[in-house]
Amino acid sequence: MSSMETIKWINEQLKPTNEFIQKNLDYENKHILLFYLKSVVDSDMLQNLIITPFFDMKSEEQLRLYVQALPQFQEVQSKEQIRQELLNGNVLAFIQDELYLLDFRLSNNDKVNQTNVETTIHGSQLALSDNLMTNINLIRTNYHQSSLSIEYLDKGEVNQQKVAIIYDQEKVKSDVLDIIRTRLQKVDKQVITSTTQLNNYLNDKKFSLFPQMIMTERPDRIIYNLAGGKVVLLVDGNPQAVATPVVFFDFMTTMEDNYHTVLISFFLRILRYAGLILSLLLPSLYVGATSYTPEVFRTELALTVAGSRVGVPFSSFIEVLFMLFFMELLLEASIRLPKAVSATATTVGGLILGTAVTEASLASNIMVIIVSAVAISTFVIPVNEMAFSIRVLRLLLILVTSLFGLAGLVLGFFALIMYLVNLDSFGEPYLKLYTVSKNKKRSEGKA
Amino acid sequence: MSRYYYYLILINMVANVIASVPAILLQFHKQGSVSSMILAAIIGTILITIYTRFFNAFPGMTLPDLLKKTTAKWFYNPFILLLALVWFIAGLITLVTFAFLLIRFVTPEMPIIQIGSTIILSVIFGCLMRSERVLYTIELVTLITFPLTIFIFYKAYTSDNLNWDFVKDAALYVNQMPNLNSFGACLFLFLGVVNLFIFNRFFTEKQSFKWKHAALIGVISTMTLFTTYFIPIGFHGFENIDELVYPWISTSDSIRMEFFIIERVLFVFILFYLGIAFLSILIHWHVSMEFLKFVFHLEKIKFRGLTVGTVIPLPFFIGISLYFLRELNEYQLFRISGLFYDSLIFFFSLITILLFFIKRRMKNARQAKEY
Repeated sequence: MSSMETIKWINEQLKPTNEFIQKNLDYENKHILLFYLKSVVDSDMLQNLIITPFFDMKSEEQLRLYVQALPQFQEVQSKEQIRQELLNGNVLAFIQDELYLLDFRLSNNDKVNQTNVETTIHGSQLALSDNLMTNINLIRTNYHQSSLSIEYLDKGEVNQQKVAIIYDQEKVKSDVLDIIRTRLQKVDKQVITSTTQLNNYLNDKKFSLFPQMIMTERPDRIIYNLAGGKVVLLVDGNPQAVATPVVFFDFMTTMEDNYHTVLISFFLRILRYAGLILSLLLPSLYVGATSYTPEVFRTELALTVAGSRVGVPFSSFIEVLFMLFFMELLLEASIRLPKAVSATATTVGGLILGTAVTEASLASNIMVIIVSAVAISTFVIPVNEMAFSIRVLRLLLILVTSLFGLAGLVLGFFALIMYLVNLDSFGEPYLKLYTVSKNKKRSEGKA
Repeated sequence: MSRYYYYLILINMVANVIASVPAILLQFHKQGSVSSMILAAIIGTILITIYTRFFNAFPGMTLPDLLKKTTAKWFYNPFILLLALVWFIAGLITLVTFAFLLIRFVTPEMPIIQIGSTIILSVIFGCLMRSERVLYTIELVTLITFPLTIFIFYKAYTSDNLNWDFVKDAALYVNQMPNLNSFGACLFLFLGVVNLFIFNRFFTEKQSFKWKHAALIGVISTMTLFTTYFIPIGFHGFENIDELVYPWISTSDSIRMEFFIIERVLFVFILFYLGIAFLSILIHWHVSMEFLKFVFHLEKIKFRGLTVGTVIPLPFFIGISLYFLRELNEYQLFRISGLFYDSLIFFFSLITILLFFIKRRMKNARQAKEY
């Protein structure tokens, strides 16, 4: 197909866009045609790199060579590519019967964000930006390896968003990469706007409670995961990356663990796991111990609990569910509310409701303590996705305990471990005890 | 040896401390339990060595795989079915024992069916997991429960109420001839190794099993046996110890943690032993399920593209266990466990002979291939 026909086709394709501009420059037997979308092209760049030089050039041949020499230059492969690149912010130049694409995209979202989901005291305070290229630049500048590979895909039938698959060719497991590629091919959603969406689309399950990918906004975490042989996915316009395959323990580590001294990070880790266990088991333990087997605790404690429940008209599991319900509402509300109002919500919810509920003896004092302890310890879990799963699991454990008592709680907990062990994340076991051995050779196989 | 191998042995050993094994031993406390224990420790360690050596020679092969190669079909199918039954009963005994324990000590108002179904429901889907995942589960749950078990044993040994004179008294009965029942009960502690029948598929690399590994297992098992038998005697005295239904429960109830939020060790003991029982049932039923797969080729039964075959045994497992939960009482359970342990002595003696037979045939087959 000749260049003229291509231009005609492009014109037809982009006619509905009323921002499509066609500029014809003709001066001193030099001739150039420019096509671009006004809103996505950096006009300063266009002015400085094309239009001004155009008037200074001596011949058309010089202009052609100049355009080819520009770093923004890219080869034209097909007319579909031209259309896509024009929509992405490229300029199509027509010189001497040849077509050239020049990347002059204007992006206002390439500022690097501050971390606000995974905040740390030590280490970098900067997160990813909304711009894919800036993010890849961030990764490249922190990971100097020639084996770092990046593949691009366009996903989402309607919005054709750019997805990047990033991995270290020497470290990544090839079967994991294959699974991700084939599953990404199968994704046929209309609109893709976020990496965390891919978490759902790629895991091949209708219902899943646990995240199969770890979401992160920290470049240092991405680097750490790449070096560990994980595959990182990025979507343009989304400041969060996802890394996979994951194991359960990934969700319990923060980047700060590497920045503290050994003993301190050990202490913090213990604290975190204690928080996990507490937020998971404490409400159910209360139900089991008050309603089924109060004699488990020492007599004084059992009496204190019973004494605090005097006047409470509910059975223990209704009491727990009642208080947890309000706590969950408060959590949800404080995410949605504007920052200025959320302080009020927490005061009203936490302080006033808490005191009033015990004074009205709708819940015992100990129950209020437990609920607040649970709320606090949920926040100790460093990765937000896991915290959400734990919140749901907690309810399941309460249900099991209400039906089967303390033995149900213990067995439910073990069954939960079993379920996690049975889960797969892209072909890797989700929960398993990893040990570091001197020789890398495993003495067992796979069964 | 791989650490997963030790878990298999250890779980079987420790799981039975709480069940009928100590009760059987204590029942024959004047008729040769001590000598049976010594004999069982020796024979058990030898048995473990033989079985481990045998499966080390065939890395990654399960017993049904080997039998398929070496025996006729009329023998293979009924025999594997019998194995499946034995493993199912082993799991069932642990299940019923624990259901009785829970109703006796933790939730007396709850119907026995409800208690039983708690245990069954938590375990049953785990039996369908792949063998490697079963082993990973074992590792994690062991890691959680074992420190506490060790702590309880430590509390028992350091307790003021433990009277060593009783223990010495009991040890004097070493001169009695060993008896079958005590010996069977003791030997059962060592039979964790036979789970290799299926779990050997996980150990695809050749393992090294030397005398020091065997010695380690021997020492651990002797300590377990010693604790199982002598600690209850130390707490409760030697005379009339045979009257106790659950010797170890009564023993753990004699221990107090004065400054902890839970004062009676009994509850910690039962709830954490529940974890070990959970693992024991999981292992046994998983092996049983795998045997059934070999007999009936369950994984080939499909319905609308889904492999439904593997879940077919589940209703039977649940139904039969619930039936026995309703029908049995503690005395019958005690008798049945005793009978089961005794029959295992003969059963596994025969299997040991079978193993030698398989080894010869495999050797011949290998030689035939070389020529």
